[in-house]
Amino acid sequence: MILAVLFFFVMMLAVPMDMIAGEAAATKEKQLIFDTAELLNQQEYDELNALANQYGAERETDMMIMTINSPEAYDVKKMTQDFYDDYAPGYDKPHGNAVILMLDMTHRDVYLAGFYKAKTYLDDERFDKIRDKITPDLTSGDYKLAFQKYIQTAHKYMGFRLGVNPDNIFFNTWVQLGIALALGGGIVTLMVRRSGGRITVNSRTYEDASTSGVVDYEDTYLHTSTTKRKIERSSSSSSGSSGGGGGGGTTSGGHSHSGSRGSF
Amino acid sequence: MPIIEYKCPNCGSGMVFDADTGMLSCYSCGRKDNIEQIPDPLTKHVFSEEDEAREYHCNSCGAVIMTEAETSATSCSFCGSAVVLSDRLTGELAPVKIIPFSISKEQAMKAFRKWCGKGLVTPSGFMTADRIKGITGLYVPFWLYDLHNDVEVYARATKVSTYRSGDYEYTKTDYYDLYREICLDYVKVPIDASEKMNDELMDKLEPFPYDKLESFKTPYLAGYIAEKYSYNDEELYPRVKDKIDKYIYSYINSTVSGYATVNYTDVDIDTELERADYVLLPVWMVQYDYNKRKYTFAMNGQTGKVVGKPPISKMKVAGWFAGISGISFLTLHLVSSWIIGGGFW
Repeated sequence: MILAVLFFFVMMLAVPMDMIAGEAAATKEKQLIFDTAELLNQQEYDELNALANQYGAERETDMMIMTINSPEAYDVKKMTQDFYDDYAPGYDKPHGNAVILMLDMTHRDVYLAGFYKAKTYLDDERFDKIRDKITPDLTSGDYKLAFQKYIQTAHKYMGFRLGVNPDNIFFNTWVQLGIALALGGGIVTLMVRRSGGRITVNSRTYEDASTSGVVDYEDTYLHTSTTKRKIERSSSSSSGSSGGGGGGGTTSGGHSHSGSRGSF
Repeated sequence: MPIIEYKCPNCGSGMVFDADTGMLSCYSCGRKDNIEQIPDPLTKHVFSEEDEAREYHCNSCGAVIMTEAETSATSCSFCGSAVVLSDRLTGELAPVKIIPFSISKEQAMKAFRKWCGKGLVTPSGFMTADRIKGITGLYVPFWLYDLHNDVEVYARATKVSTYRSGDYEYTKTDYYDLYREICLDYVKVPIDASEKMNDELMDKLEPFPYDKLESFKTPYLAGYIAEKYSYNDEELYPRVKDKIDKYIYSYINSTVSGYATVNYTDVDIDTELERADYVLLPVWMVQYDYNKRKYTFAMNGQTGKVVGKPPISKMKVAGWFAGISGISFLTLHLVSSWIIGGGFW
């Protein structure tokens, strides 16, 4: 029994999680990245497009990236909505499940939007989290890394039921493994230590309660000291850049979506 | 004659103390005598101090009785008669009280086997307990200390509270001066007085049921091995002080609850020794051979509690570790997967 458990345990660790579901993806790739601002080289583009196809298929959602660097660029949120209306992306059907990252290099604005299935799993708050993760990389010009994180995080968060914090460390397999090993180690150590018998007398065993006790006591208040500390407010996502409304909205074509916008 | 033997008035065989009935019994004819009614030769005779290298001769067969210097009761190695070396139990060496055995040899063997069978991390070969090499009923000398303690404690303590106001978090610390005067009486704190006995092992045997304490009578020793103390009460006083110091500090800590921090500035413990009684307490010593190594276990002769370091099976430890870790990992993972609401991974 023990060996079987151990074997199962090792097997689970040995199989990388992405391998199971990821095989069927590479059959037909569709273009999900529209890099008009030319931020990526060909190799980076191929890699990311493959990643977006693979992860998108697992969540039945098109994970798209648009970059624009032109004087014609207008409000980043409006551009995202118009793109969805005009291009009609969607994994399942035109105007279907999609996540869009719109990067406006002219105004250095970024907007993330989720439609249909993506909207149910990725609310404004989760998009804010994704944006917080990629903004530093966008600022420093590491676009490939930022896009990769965006695809991976959107994929990951869509695996979590709404209302659950996806970044809770207890959902991390390694943390769970650590807790399990610590628990096993602790209990086994206790078992070994107690195998030779343990002390079963305590401080009260030999105490004569009838004559023992506190004879006299005094608690004298001396003084009070107070220190204060400024509460650090987490910089609100929409604070610096609320151009056209921070969160989601509805496109001209009538498609409701969630979203998050910000500058970088 | 410093040798005491109990001869059966009916048949002349040697009589021994029977743990089941608490009587002095003759195994040959079955006669049982109440210990209370047997005149104790120790109370009648006064022995003169003689040199250390004296010889004891068995009253039954006349052979020289081989003993160690600490032994006060044993059996003749030639004829097996139970003998008590009375001069090692008189004067300074006279025990005040005794807790007689209530677990007989057979019961002790059974209890020990049962204990072995319950070992979770001991090797299977050990669990069958079929290699008991020897089991000895031993009266171990203990000192029971009654100690009166007057304790005075001075401490500086704080209470901490935090609250928010506007953009600031305030931490308020109240400082207090504490004073405690405590009176603590500890009664019958046992310390083993035998040099041979492992102190740690003996400490784990506690507690002994003090309601079974009887006035010392020599017939209780018949058929068992008894020792005289190797250290007197004064020599062991530091050990008992050490032992109760832990109790005292735990009591002090319990009187200053409700504070965030307590720093003792001065703790004054004045311990007064009220009395120290020399008693004999019953212990079954079990010698066990496993894998060419000797293991010694001790069993409380009244409660049946077994202590001693058993061999540890690395396989079993690894098995438990893998099992517990594996099951808790699976449980954690399933629960979190359920909370997440997605697939298994």
